[in-house]
Amino acid sequence: MTVTAASLASPASPALLHRVGDRALSWLDAHRDFFRLTPEDRATGSATIERLKPIGELAINMQVLFREGVAGSRQRTRAGALLDFAWRELLDGGNVLAALQQDEPHSPVPLEVYAPFHELGHRHPGLEAALAVTRRTATWTALEMVPNRRLGVLNAERKIGLAPSADVDQALARTWLGQLPEPWTVQLHIAYDITHTVFHLTNWGEAPDRIPPDVADYLTRYLPAWLDDWADLEHWDLLGELLVVDACLPRPTLDARLWERYAAAQDASGAMPIQHAMPEGDPDLVFDQVHHPTLVAAFASAMATSRALTSTAG
Amino acid sequence: MAEQTQGAVPLSAVIADAATGVALALQGGGDPYALSRILRQGDPLAPAAVRVLGADALAPYALEHRAVPVGADDEAVVRQTLAAFPPGADASDVSAWSYRGLVEATHAYLPSHARPWPRPPETGAEWTAADPWPRLAHRVSQLAALALPGLAADLEEQLTSRTDDLARGFVRAVRRRDWLQAAGVGRWLARLPDVPPTLGLDAGLAFVRQMGGGDPRVALHVVAAQRFFGRGW
Repeated sequence: MTVTAASLASPASPALLHRVGDRALSWLDAHRDFFRLTPEDRATGSATIERLKPIGELAINMQVLFREGVAGSRQRTRAGALLDFAWRELLDGGNVLAALQQDEPHSPVPLEVYAPFHELGHRHPGLEAALAVTRRTATWTALEMVPNRRLGVLNAERKIGLAPSADVDQALARTWLGQLPEPWTVQLHIAYDITHTVFHLTNWGEAPDRIPPDVADYLTRYLPAWLDDWADLEHWDLLGELLVVDACLPRPTLDARLWERYAAAQDASGAMPIQHAMPEGDPDLVFDQVHHPTLVAAFASAMATSRALTSTAG
Repeated sequence: MAEQTQGAVPLSAVIADAATGVALALQGGGDPYALSRILRQGDPLAPAAVRVLGADALAPYALEHRAVPVGADDEAVVRQTLAAFPPGADASDVSAWSYRGLVEATHAYLPSHARPWPRPPETGAEWTAADPWPRLAHRVSQLAALALPGLAADLEEQLTSRTDDLARGFVRAVRRRDWLQAAGVGRWLARLPDVPPTLGLDAGLAFVRQMGGGDPRVALHVVAAQRFFGRGW
């Protein structure tokens, strides 16, 4: 059964799509030192893992900007500079990851953070040697994690040129999205499971054609309902992730009305609030709250701009 | 004051009681259906309640074996309703269509007596093609009573090409806990062919009834979907 496109407004202009990411990148650039690990963070492994998450997200999202090449040469330069900063300054050329692997030899986190840097040409042979050993244990594939994260680990392995440690199709089949359940049961956490399944499956939007046709049909059919609802709830973080999913579909809508609301939610500084308005107060706490939605804004903008310029939207 | 308000029943309560009566009749419980039995004798709000329920006021007559021969009382209240609430020249599409639904139901389900029933009014259908999906779903839910066998066949035909948009509307309505809209859209989807299996309409209708069935109109739509179109459980 062919899915009919959602009857809604026309696609957003590439200029609008681009502007959201440009402003988000300015904020990220201006706040890059907030990503730094403190000596206290590095004193304990668990604190390091906690603080590595934003760095991993920064790397993934800057890599998207770098890859999509639609951001213009100035943005590409800034994204590249941020990636170099992250590798050299935040991760000490990978030593932070190797140290973490030493502390927690069977954690998948160093691999997940390392993968985008490896793909960009950075190398840490010591970390790779440690990963090679742990990947040959039975515990590596037995580690309990939510199904969409398993897809993420498989994607990270693929990114650094290793044979995936499990079957991708089977891993997809175990995710919520892979089972195509009733779309009206989706709530906040399920929605994030959906977006992350799409991110990992497509290598963060690089290969949208890895979404199987039945899953693409399912998303084409029901994504507009979720987009509409979370736009009304002003949940900009999730809306941004759902807009990435839209940009990964065979026929993205790039809905102008949604993108206009999303752009209007962005702070003058370029930061994107999680939900409703910008938080106020201590800069560190504000950073903790807005860095993720702002990274998502850069990601969504790069993907949507790319699709607007390379495909027939609508 | 207390004496004055004691006997006053708001319209919403009259509608709720009537909707409960229709739903019970569709489920096959109790005595054979008669519209006049679910309305209070001589209640001045009865015609307004019938206007709100629209074709659903006569829905049990579509189950022929459940109905007794229509009495003069039923005919009288329907005629009174049709006379009291005709859609004006500036009536909304929903108002015109719901009135048309009631007229069509009289033709389809009530025997013609000496006096013929009024002719169905002209109704515009541009919106079925032009409405964006959220608006379409909202309107269709307001016309849930027209999702009855043999009624508004042209509307059914036009909505057949919009099942994906109505499925989106169902998802959105459930997400928003707008049970009345969800039940109305779900009832129409129950009537339409080629509803996407991934929507999970049967479980969805049951869920809507579980969550929102405290509203008799929600329960009525879900029961109608089951009784007439075999959807939901």
